[in-house]
Amino acid sequence: MKRSVCAGLIKERIGPDNLIVCGLGSTSRAWREQGAPNLTYYASDPMGMGPSLSLGLAIAQPERQVVLLEGDGDLAMNLGVLLTIAEARPPNLKIVVFQNGRYETGGGQPLPAADRLDFATIARGAGLPWAAEARSVEQAGEILSQLFSRPGPSLLVLRVEPEPSPYPAAGPWSQVEERAIYMRRRAGKL
Amino acid sequence: MSNPQAEKPGKLNPARLIVSALKRAGIDIVASLPDKWLTELIEEITGDPAITHVRVTREDDGVGLCAGAYLGRRRAALVCQNAGLLLSANALAGYALHHQIPFLVLSAYRGNHDDAYYYQMYKGRVTRPVLQALGLPHHVVASPGDFYLIEEGAQQAYLTRMPVVLLLTRRALLGDVIA
Repeated sequence: MKRSVCAGLIKERIGPDNLIVCGLGSTSRAWREQGAPNLTYYASDPMGMGPSLSLGLAIAQPERQVVLLEGDGDLAMNLGVLLTIAEARPPNLKIVVFQNGRYETGGGQPLPAADRLDFATIARGAGLPWAAEARSVEQAGEILSQLFSRPGPSLLVLRVEPEPSPYPAAGPWSQVEERAIYMRRRAGKL
Repeated sequence: MSNPQAEKPGKLNPARLIVSALKRAGIDIVASLPDKWLTELIEEITGDPAITHVRVTREDDGVGLCAGAYLGRRRAALVCQNAGLLLSANALAGYALHHQIPFLVLSAYRGNHDDAYYYQMYKGRVTRPVLQALGLPHHVVASPGDFYLIEEGAQQAYLTRMPVVLLLTRRALLGDVIA
């Protein structure tokens, strides 16, 4: 599966009120290219913070579904966060992991144990009530629909193919300016 | 009528005072990772229905959680030991400088004059120089008399748009009997 196809499937299956958090790197770029209307926080660095940031947002805004679009390298950096999410059990947090086993933005180097890594099993072992994996577009479409309609914190792994994703040029807005825009949009002031 | 639950007169309850100050500062989400000196504070946080308490496995997840809460327009704090500040240096610097996100960190200040273990001492040596290098505002809370720093530190965090760290001594966390 290509990242952009998966991002498109997600866009088709979420409502406009869903808050999106993107981990850094290629996942982020795939989502940005969709041009979805959803309020999106591009979490950028520090690496490994996507899940905890999303958990904090989900707890702070229980009335909104929070969807984290996460890279496998980012999640691998801190697997312990799955225990925290399992205990906190935010009903409105859904995690989609784009797994291709490589640090794509860093140049395509493999993750440790990339050939046998199974995040869905790890997530279930950490105590998440629901975790699944999709390896084809058909499967992904079906299971994404389940992910977004079921209650409770849930994690879905999408096995995507390696595609180079080099750093783009720096955009016009710094992270703190993006953050301010995000919060003002959230407050209905923009 | 006697109340068996009542505190003995003259006995300070630092944990309760800290939680009251957090709530006055508008903080109702707290992430924590334990330390021996934090036992009573974490119990107080857990037992307070007005606070959402989230137990983390690494302190930088507490940093991320506080940052996410702020994006949701809520105020959060991280309670941890100063080893956790050292571990979280990258996350703290990223949210302080790159995102400019405010929250309060309450850290047990281990390894100082009031500690009694060899293995804690290096933390006392390096904590403040590291915070200084990160450019993070930080204050030592030496005793319950300094608890005004909780509300003032929270205000400083929100006005400067960066985390503010409070380093709490043994005396501040575990208290003293008033003579």
